[in-house]
Amino acid sequence: KNTYSQNKIDIEIYQGTLQQVFQKIEKNTEFIFFYKDGTLPENDKFTINKKGIELNLFLDDLLKDYSIGYKVDDRQVTVYKKPIENRVKKALQFTVTGTITDETGLPLSGATVVEKGTTNGTQADFDGNFSIDVAGEDATLVVSFVGYSTQEVLVGSQSEIDIVLNEDTAALDEVVIVGYGVQKKETLTGAVAGVGGEELAQAPVTNISQGVAGRIPGVVAISNGGEPGYDGATLRIRGLSTFGNAAPLVVVDGVPGRSLERIDPSTIKNVSVLKDASAAIYGAQAANGVILVTTKRGKVGAPNIKFSYNHGISRPTVIPEMANAAEYATLLNEVDGYNDAPLRFTEDDIQAYRDGSDPWRYPDTDWYEETLKPWSAQTYGNVSINGGTEKMNYFVSLSHRYQDGFYENSATNYNQYDLRTNLDFNINEYLDVYINTTGRFEDRNYPTRSAENIFRMLMRSRPNSHAYWPNGMPGPDIEYGDNPVVISTDATGYSRDKRYVFNSDFGVNLKIPGVEGLTFRGNASIDKNFRFDKDWVTPWYLYSWPEQRVDENGDPILVRGKKGYEDPRLTETMDDSQRILLRGIFDYTKTFGEDHDINLLAGVERITNKGDSFWAYRRYFLSDAVDQLFAGGSEDMNNSGSGFEEARLNYFGRVNYAFSEKYLAEFVWRYQGSYIFEESGRFGFFPGVSLGYVVSKEKFWENTVPFISFAKIRASWGQTGNDAIDPYQYLANYSVNNLSYISDNGNSRTQTLFEGVIPNSNVTWETATQKNIGLDLDFLRGDLSLTVDYFHYLREDILWPRNASVPNTAGLTLPAENIGRSKNQGFDFNLDYRTNISDLRINIGLNGVYTKNEILFWDEPQGRPEYQQSTGRPIGAGLYYNAIGIFQTQEEIDNYPSWQGARPGDIIFEDYNDDGVIDGNDRVRYDASRVPTFTGGLNISMNYKNFDLAVLLQGASGGYFYETTESGDFGNYLQSFYEDRWTAENPSTEDPRTYNRNGEYWVSEQNTYWLRKSDYVRLKNIELGYTLPESVTSSILVKNFRVYLSAFNLLTYSPHIDDYDPESTSGSGYNYPLNKVVNVGASINF
Amino acid sequence: CDKDFLEVKPLDQYSDAAVWSDASLVNAFVNDIYLGQQYGFQLEMLASLSDISMTKRAEVNPILNSEINASYVSVLDPNHWLTSFRNITWNSLYLNIRSCNVFFERVEESGLQGEEIERLTGEVHYLRANFYYWLMSFYGGVPIVDQAYQIEDDFNIARSTFEETINFIVADLDAAAAALPLSGDKARATRGAALALKSRVLLYAASDLFNSNASWTDGYANPELVGYTGGSQTQRWQAAQDAAKAVIDLGIYNLYGGTSPASPQEARENYTNLFLNNGNEEDILISFYDDINDSDWQAPNPGRFYGPNGYHNWGNHTPTQQLVDSYEMIDGTEFSWSGPEAENPYENRDPRFYASILYDGANWRQRPDDVSAADPEGIVQTGFFENADGTFTPGLDTRQSSIEDWNGTYTGYYLRKFIDPSIDHQYETQRLPWRQIRYAEVILNYVEASLELGQEAEAKTYLNMIRNRAGMPDVPADESGEDLMDRYRNERKVELAYEQHRYFDIRRWMIAPQVIEDVEGIRIEHQFGSDDVEYQIMEVQNRNWQNKSYLLPILLDEMNRNDLLIQNPGY
Repeated sequence: KNTYSQNKIDIEIYQGTLQQVFQKIEKNTEFIFFYKDGTLPENDKFTINKKGIELNLFLDDLLKDYSIGYKVDDRQVTVYKKPIENRVKKALQFTVTGTITDETGLPLSGATVVEKGTTNGTQADFDGNFSIDVAGEDATLVVSFVGYSTQEVLVGSQSEIDIVLNEDTAALDEVVIVGYGVQKKETLTGAVAGVGGEELAQAPVTNISQGVAGRIPGVVAISNGGEPGYDGATLRIRGLSTFGNAAPLVVVDGVPGRSLERIDPSTIKNVSVLKDASAAIYGAQAANGVILVTTKRGKVGAPNIKFSYNHGISRPTVIPEMANAAEYATLLNEVDGYNDAPLRFTEDDIQAYRDGSDPWRYPDTDWYEETLKPWSAQTYGNVSINGGTEKMNYFVSLSHRYQDGFYENSATNYNQYDLRTNLDFNINEYLDVYINTTGRFEDRNYPTRSAENIFRMLMRSRPNSHAYWPNGMPGPDIEYGDNPVVISTDATGYSRDKRYVFNSDFGVNLKIPGVEGLTFRGNASIDKNFRFDKDWVTPWYLYSWPEQRVDENGDPILVRGKKGYEDPRLTETMDDSQRILLRGIFDYTKTFGEDHDINLLAGVERITNKGDSFWAYRRYFLSDAVDQLFAGGSEDMNNSGSGFEEARLNYFGRVNYAFSEKYLAEFVWRYQGSYIFEESGRFGFFPGVSLGYVVSKEKFWENTVPFISFAKIRASWGQTGNDAIDPYQYLANYSVNNLSYISDNGNSRTQTLFEGVIPNSNVTWETATQKNIGLDLDFLRGDLSLTVDYFHYLREDILWPRNASVPNTAGLTLPAENIGRSKNQGFDFNLDYRTNISDLRINIGLNGVYTKNEILFWDEPQGRPEYQQSTGRPIGAGLYYNAIGIFQTQEEIDNYPSWQGARPGDIIFEDYNDDGVIDGNDRVRYDASRVPTFTGGLNISMNYKNFDLAVLLQGASGGYFYETTESGDFGNYLQSFYEDRWTAENPSTEDPRTYNRNGEYWVSEQNTYWLRKSDYVRLKNIELGYTLPESVTSSILVKNFRVYLSAFNLLTYSPHIDDYDPESTSGSGYNYPLNKVVNVGASINF
Repeated sequence: CDKDFLEVKPLDQYSDAAVWSDASLVNAFVNDIYLGQQYGFQLEMLASLSDISMTKRAEVNPILNSEINASYVSVLDPNHWLTSFRNITWNSLYLNIRSCNVFFERVEESGLQGEEIERLTGEVHYLRANFYYWLMSFYGGVPIVDQAYQIEDDFNIARSTFEETINFIVADLDAAAAALPLSGDKARATRGAALALKSRVLLYAASDLFNSNASWTDGYANPELVGYTGGSQTQRWQAAQDAAKAVIDLGIYNLYGGTSPASPQEARENYTNLFLNNGNEEDILISFYDDINDSDWQAPNPGRFYGPNGYHNWGNHTPTQQLVDSYEMIDGTEFSWSGPEAENPYENRDPRFYASILYDGANWRQRPDDVSAADPEGIVQTGFFENADGTFTPGLDTRQSSIEDWNGTYTGYYLRKFIDPSIDHQYETQRLPWRQIRYAEVILNYVEASLELGQEAEAKTYLNMIRNRAGMPDVPADESGEDLMDRYRNERKVELAYEQHRYFDIRRWMIAPQVIEDVEGIRIEHQFGSDDVEYQIMEVQNRNWQNKSYLLPILLDEMNRNDLLIQNPGY
């Protein structure tokens, strides 16, 4: 069985300790040595030069003078102190047997069991079984295994003890995924942060990007909304560094361009984020950082089958409080009053709205309550099988998720089906092969009206109008037939968006025979995306009550009206694309002399992406019974189609050098060619250098700062690119306008061509120069660890059109030119602390990132005054009039420069330039942008006996959003506006008078009154779990059974915003709100 | 990897080389320039920025109250979210002017020749003149860009004088007229179109506003930018008259329906139907809109935008009482609220009134199915009906209607002109073309120039053609001087209502200070138990005029981009 022990080793070392000898062997072979601290003599030095010696013979010889034993099991070599032979044995000897497994029931072969306070110990065998003789009942067993938390068990009267070790999350980080490889955390020199898949899976969200917030230091996540199927968060690595495209590159299992959002969280092993020059290996697409996702693979062992099921209920986090019917009528009367128009509601009308005495004529409708249900369901089910032998490992996962919309009788829902198969084959001692395949079906269903439209109508719908008449018939619309209670259902037809994703990967890892340490890795990946979208739009019906006529019984006569469309219409769209990636990498690892560890990596990669699309449209269907294109009429039928191609060629590499694992250096590079640019400037070179110094390895360290067990200083510099711009800007091209030119008395329709952007043959990458200094510290022997990074990013050559400075008289559609510069600097940190208080295990993690960006140069109009220049200000800082109060009297208006037509109750705009008039020159650049400057998260996880609890508090500050509502005669007002508004009777000094849509200057002109801070802290995530005692589960052949309760966005504190979610991107309430989820789930392992 | 692997070309575009070597692609390029013309059936209309119409959108108030400034021009801003005027903003006009200049330069370089290229060249001259016409009308003298800039060029350019601007437009139109066929497809420019636009441009050039030596400004330092500073206005009227006569003398256009209708009813139908076809003998240039490929809610949809709320339409651009009162009585006398006609104000009026305006009691079309029970006949209800208890039931098309009241009219009227009654506009978009230029305008241009030149007899002959076609009697033989001029101006106001003339006419005549006044509407009450109707005129919207509004300001951002620009007076 000991296949590895047949292996011969080479070893060359000068004056090295036993520990260093073992490390050297580890480096050059697959063997891993396990031993407890204090096992090996520290002072004895060895000089060895042996080639091709068998490990067993070598170790026998090496250890013959020591009372040290060893045991080889597969590739694990356990080294232990031999029990002292002449020890006096206690009279009473106790033999304890048992098995050691992980949380999923997988045997932990090689785990050590030591009797506490003695040197007496043993190891678990391949099946996790162990047997140990102990002194007596009061003996305590210390059970440990690499990557797992150590456990102590009192023997008591038990002669059989089964021990479950929990994975040590801190220990998991020992290995970090980096570009095209893996590095030990200890010797890592770049700024790389990561999170385990298990943590991400804690959040009951259907979109993994929503679960990222607060979990990875340096990653800023802005949730956009919770619409099923479109609930992705915007991720920004260390905030905004550019005013160009700021999206990070996502690489899933080594393939760029795959979706992060839709990955089944339970298949994620971990997520790694490259934040600094370490990303340079991804070259021209890496300037905004790189997110690397790695999925789970099989582990050697018996098949481990896991079922899990979640059932969640969700609702919007925040729903705006709107004015009720009486308040709304009052406000409209004020509008009329300001216009000297007759008031449209009498006092009696308003009273009737208030008291609800006549629900037919005087309704008071809460539109949100009528349209949204209290809770909507979401479910997630998964089954996975994981296991393997020495020759083959497998991980297979199948899952389904379902998410319902917020609406009553919702036409909105999302279904996703995932199948992932990751297979590893060990063909022979040189060759490994892997095959990864993922199939995913994303099934999105919506009403024919968009969520934005429905929520806009909810904001606008008038409380004095019926959602449903008292007899249950749907009430009238605002316009277009848009009664929200109807258009959120399938009464208007349907919109079905089906996407099929197939990702596949075939790879080989070949150890080159004869060259020790040299490996070739090659892979081919084909990703296929297919989409079929079908919009079937049918007329729907609403009821109105014309002239409030009644029948002979006095019952209202409602009239049914057809809405939206005269006849059904059908649009079908198909998109189809495939990306092919071919890659080859050589990897060489060698130790020279005693202390010089070198790793070289070089590879080449070509990526092509091609796609086609077409759509077709028909109307005049014979009936709505058949929703297929053939049944539509030929009049007005329409169709179109297009295609695209992309190609990239990349050469890349990495050089690592470590001296004694103390002085570390890394160089990464990429030479990348992209189809986006002209031939002469198509290739770019992107280098990155980083250095590390493990100062705690210095001899003086242990004596001077013993409480810091590990300390590393890192520094990096690198250049990366950003090519996320429209391609072909170097070509003079003409595009087809989607509108046709019609002539010949309306009988002839012909395409038209328009000039594209003016060609810019010099167009090239946006380059980022990224500097980073970091510090990693471990205190309390690793129980407390701290990572702090300071970063400074300089962006140059940002592609930006000179729209602001080129006069419109030029008539040019300007290309992006490499003119912009910006910088972004800040720091991020991560603090981890773990402790055990008897049976209570606690892990606390605190992370945060603070960033401050600044535009160094971009295109500004020449004559713009200094205080309006955006240069020197943060990206996204807008121009606003300074709202400095409310005009109370005509006299005040006369005494201060004001907008023409201003009246009491209007907002005072500051005459910023003091020229006596309010005009565009009084607008001031205000450092307010949607992206927060600080975001952070506090993770607390606790285990107590069979209970576990995880809490994530997440917050952000420094972001702003601009509030707008379409209030007035066709849109409701926020109730807070009603309460705070200025009136002649209750003159407010802070809030303005009632307005009608954007008729007032202080509504139509951007000003600081509507600017709101979006600071918040929220209980992003909480999960409480209970694992059934093994005594219960083992009787039903179950390895592990856990039930849990979890919640997402349960509580929020946002001091400046009441009516919208502080993470919302829309300040008008017009997008689908974020969701709050309460979830119950269970998982079971066989 | 093979070397050409990265040599990928766009699959959704044509290369520069392909376009300028293929006449059919060049044709497609010119067709796109045609799409840059203003299409009048927009959500917002130029008419409502004048005295004849009222839009309900409060956002335009700064324009109606002369409160716009160089930072804020409301819906006339190129970046305004309402796209109605996008094609006639500074930015779009210069964008399209560039397309014209690209055409001239690239065609010349390419060596493309032939009949089609020659015709297209003429069309592009016409189109460029058309774009400069709008700039001139809004701003006066503007920067004349006649080259296609390259990226490295110096873009700063000063405004040309008003005179230079007019000359440039006229030169383009002369070039167009020389190259274009006499007539042809009415959606394309022809010699007739070029000459007709020239007539309009020269009429504007001769008008008082541009010959006032900037008297309306507060001592503006650059009067040459906003009008002529020398020469003879009379000669300009002569040029305008000649230009109009040149079109008349082509002899290829006729007033639709002829000038001798058999009855007022027939005249009314003629005037109605003039706009309800895809081109007729009166049309000189028309534009169709591709609504099939434009699903934007702002895509032109006149029936839905302007129709009554009781038909689930949006009731925008309601005629003002001032316009309604401008329609003469059928006998050619003025309507007056103090005369006996005030008893039945909607009877015996100019047939064009019935063809242009929906009023309380007007027969319109079948009501939608949810409203038809309340009004099976389809009669417009902008009045209020008194009940036995003295309360009033609001008509279906009022602002107190049970149907979409917020879309109801403020003035008591709706627009009927242009709108096809055979279509249920809540669902469907009518596809009738917008008339860019029609022959009646040219005749009116001729009348105006003739009057200004003192040729009253000549003017009356042509004025009567317009009136007769509409079923109206000749101008009284003894009418002359100011009365005749007023008669003409009223005729132009009525005949060309909502056709994008009034906004400019009241400016170039410099009557805006008089006619821009608070909008009047009407309250109509049908008395209980009798046929009596009470009419009450009321003010429904405030408006103010300041002389700076004769021209638009150049936006501050554009001023900041180009330090050679000089701002218009008053801004």
